[in-house]
Amino acid sequence: MIEQTLEVDDKLAEFEARIARGEKIEPGDWMPDEYRRQLIRMISQHAHSEVVGMLPEGAWIPHAPSLRRKMVLMAKVQDEAGHGQYLYHAAETLGATREELLDALHTGKAKYASIFNYPTLTWADVAWIGWLVDGAAIKNQTMLAQASYGPYSRAMVRICAEETFHYKQGKEMIVHYASSGTPEQKAMVQDGLNRWWPPTLMMFGPHDSESTNSEILMRWGIKTKSNDELRQEFINEEVPEIQALGLEIPDPDLHFDEDSGSWIIGPIDWDEFWQVVRGNGPMNAERLAARQEAHENGRWVREAMAALYYKFVTDNYSKVSKAIGLSPERN
Amino acid sequence: MSDTQWPRYEVFKQDNPQKPHEAVGSVHAPDAELALQNGRDVFVRRPSAVSLWVVKASNIFTMTREELEATPDFWPKVSKAAGTPTTFHLFTKTSQRRSMTFVRHAGQIEAVTPELALRDAIENGRFDADNVWVWWVVADEFIHRSQADDIDSLFAPAVDKTYRQQSHYGFVSPRRQKHGREKLDADERR
Amino acid sequence: MNQAIQQILTQKLLALADDELILAHRNSEWIGHAPILEEDIALANIAQDELGHANLWFELHQTLTGDDPDELAFFREAAQFRNVQFVELPRGDWAFTMLRQYLFDAYELLLLDQLQYGRYQPLAQACAKVRNEEIYHLRHTSSWIKRLGLGTEESNRRTQAALDELWPYAQQLFVPLPGESILVDEKIVPNLGRLHESWLERVRPFLTAAHLTIPSNQTPPTNNRSNHTHHLTTLLADMQKVARLNREAVW
Repeated sequence: MIEQTLEVDDKLAEFEARIARGEKIEPGDWMPDEYRRQLIRMISQHAHSEVVGMLPEGAWIPHAPSLRRKMVLMAKVQDEAGHGQYLYHAAETLGATREELLDALHTGKAKYASIFNYPTLTWADVAWIGWLVDGAAIKNQTMLAQASYGPYSRAMVRICAEETFHYKQGKEMIVHYASSGTPEQKAMVQDGLNRWWPPTLMMFGPHDSESTNSEILMRWGIKTKSNDELRQEFINEEVPEIQALGLEIPDPDLHFDEDSGSWIIGPIDWDEFWQVVRGNGPMNAERLAARQEAHENGRWVREAMAALYYKFVTDNYSKVSKAIGLSPERN
Repeated sequence: MSDTQWPRYEVFKQDNPQKPHEAVGSVHAPDAELALQNGRDVFVRRPSAVSLWVVKASNIFTMTREELEATPDFWPKVSKAAGTPTTFHLFTKTSQRRSMTFVRHAGQIEAVTPELALRDAIENGRFDADNVWVWWVVADEFIHRSQADDIDSLFAPAVDKTYRQQSHYGFVSPRRQKHGREKLDADERR
Repeated sequence: MNQAIQQILTQKLLALADDELILAHRNSEWIGHAPILEEDIALANIAQDELGHANLWFELHQTLTGDDPDELAFFREAAQFRNVQFVELPRGDWAFTMLRQYLFDAYELLLLDQLQYGRYQPLAQACAKVRNEEIYHLRHTSSWIKRLGLGTEESNRRTQAALDELWPYAQQLFVPLPGESILVDEKIVPNLGRLHESWLERVRPFLTAAHLTIPSNQTPPTNNRSNHTHHLTTLLADMQKVARLNREAVW
C-alpha cells in the first residue's frame, strides 16, 4: 500500500514535471485520475454547450433576412455542430463514450453554458451572440488552446480559428445596424445589448474567490488565467467598441479606472446565475426538450445503420458489402 | 438492435501533395464510406485538403513514449508472433512545439503484427525514434481513402465558400472608425 | 438574344433558383435537430450548397432583368414563386428528407451534365462549379438511401412511405415551362422529356436495389409551377418575416 502510494507520487511528480516543461499529455500517457475526471467534466460541458448552442441561433435560420445572412448563419451554426464534434472527440480520447456523454446531457445530469438558456427574441440577438457570446468564448478558448492535454488543446486551436469568423459576422451586423440602420434596427440592437450584456459577463464563471475547481486546473496547466482575469480582459476590449457605436451598456456603475487602466463594472447578479445553472432559467426546459426530441426522432436512423453494420460483420457480410459497394475489412 | 452513436473513425487529412497525412480528429459513422464523407464535412469546411484517409479507431495500434518507458516487459512478448508479413503505416508525433501538431504519416513497414512493425520502426533508425512522442500503427488494408478524382467534388467546393473565412468580414472597429487611427494609436501608447 | 428567348430564359432561371432556395430552406430546418451530430454538419453543407446555387441562378436572372435577388426571395408572394411543389413539402422524417434530396440530386446532376454544354455561356459556365457540389450530394444521399433501404424493417418502411408520397411530386421537375421548347431549340437548355428518361433509367434500378418499390402513380399533382400547396405560404411567412419589418432596411 505504501509502495503503491510512493509509485503514484513519483508518477505525479514526473507528470507535473512534463507539464512544467511544456509537454502535451497525450492519450495513453499516465495522468492522475483527478486530471482525467476534471478534463472529461470540462470538455463534455464545453461540447454540450456547442450542441445546445446551435438551438438559439438555429431558430433564426428560417428567418434570416437576406440570402447572404441565411448562408452565413447556416455556416455558423454548422461550425457549432463541428465544435461539439471536435470536443466530444477530445473527451473520447480520455475513455468517455459519446453514448454516455449524450445520455448525461439528455437526462439533465450534465451542465452546459447557461447563456444558451436565454431566449433569442429578435434578429439582433443573433448578431449579439456573435459579438458578445462568441467574443467571450474566444477569450476562454484562446487560453484553453494552451492546455496541457493535447487533444483538448488541438480542438481549441481549430475552434478559435473558426470562432473569429463567428465574432466578426456578428459584429459586422451590429456595427451596420447601430451606425447606419433604420430606427427599428437601432432599437433592436440596444434592446439586444440590454438583455445579452449581463449574462455574457456571467459566462466567465464565478469570481475567483468562489471558483472551486480553478486552483487544480491552473496547477495542471488546463487553465492559465483565472475567471476574473479573462472577464476583465473582455470588458476592457469590448466596452470602448460598444460605446463608440453610441450604444448604452446596461450598467449604471460602469466606469473607467485611470489607475488600473480598466473598466470597472457594477455587481453581477449571481443569484440569477445560480438559478439558471440549477435549471430555472427562461429556456432550460425548452433547450433540453429540443435535444431530447432530436435524439428520440433520430433513434430509428441510428438503429438502422447499426443493424446494417452488424450485417456487414456477420452472416450477410459479402452480400451487404457488395450492395453497398464497400470493402468489408475497412469496417 | 441497441441505439448507439456508431463506431468511431480516425480521420487523416493531407493539406497538399507535398505534406504527409495528419490525424485531425475522428468522426462517428455507420461504415468507412460514410466516415470518409463525414470526415470531409467535418474537417474540410474550409479549403485545406487534397486527400482524406479514415480508419476505424479500434484498428489503430497506439503507443506513447511514456507508455513504452512505463512498460519494460512490452518487447519480449512481441517477438513471439509469427505469420505472413503485411504493410503497416507508421504515424508519429515528433514535436511538442505547436499545439496543432499531432501524428503524421512517417512511412511504412512490412511486418507480421503492429507490435513488430513498431519494434522494427524503433530499431531500424528510419523514423528518428528518439524524437517520437506518439506512435500510431495501421495496417494498409484498414485505410479507406479518397481517390484522386474525388478532389473536385470533395475538396474544391470549400474554396468558394469565402463567407466561412474571417477575412471575408473586413470592417474596421467602431472605435477606430469614430476616433480615427491617430487618436487610437495615441491612446494605446498612453 | 431576341426578346422571346430572353423572356423564357429569365423564367427558366427563376424556376431553377426557386427550386434550390426552397429546398435549401427545408434542409436548413434540420440544423440542430439531425439524428447524429455528423449529419447536422452534412445537411448544413448541402443546404448551403443549394442556397449558393439559388444565388447563382438569381444573379444570372439579375443580369437579364436587373431584379435584386434579395427582393425576389423576400418580397414575392407565394403565387409568384416558380418552384415545384416537390421542394416545398415539409421536411418530414429523415427518410423523407434524404429521399427528396436524392431524387433532386439525381435530376440536378443530369441537368447540369447537359447545361454545361448549353449555348448560353454565362449559364454553361456557372454549371461547372455547381456540378462538383452535386456530385458530392448524390454520393452522400445515395449512400444514405441504400443504407436506409437495406437497414431495418422500420427504415425500409419509412423510406418506402417517403417514396410513395414523393414519387408523383418528383415528376414535376420534368415538366417544361410553357414556351421552354424555344430554349431547347436554341440549345440553351436540354429537353426535359429526354432528361426524364435518363433520370428514370438511373433512379429506378438504384431504388430497386435498395429494396424499395417504385410506385405506380407517376402523375404529378399539378403541372403548373404557379400552383402551390399551403406549405409554401407557411414557409414564406417564416422566411420573409424579418426582411419585411422594413422594406428600406439593409441587413
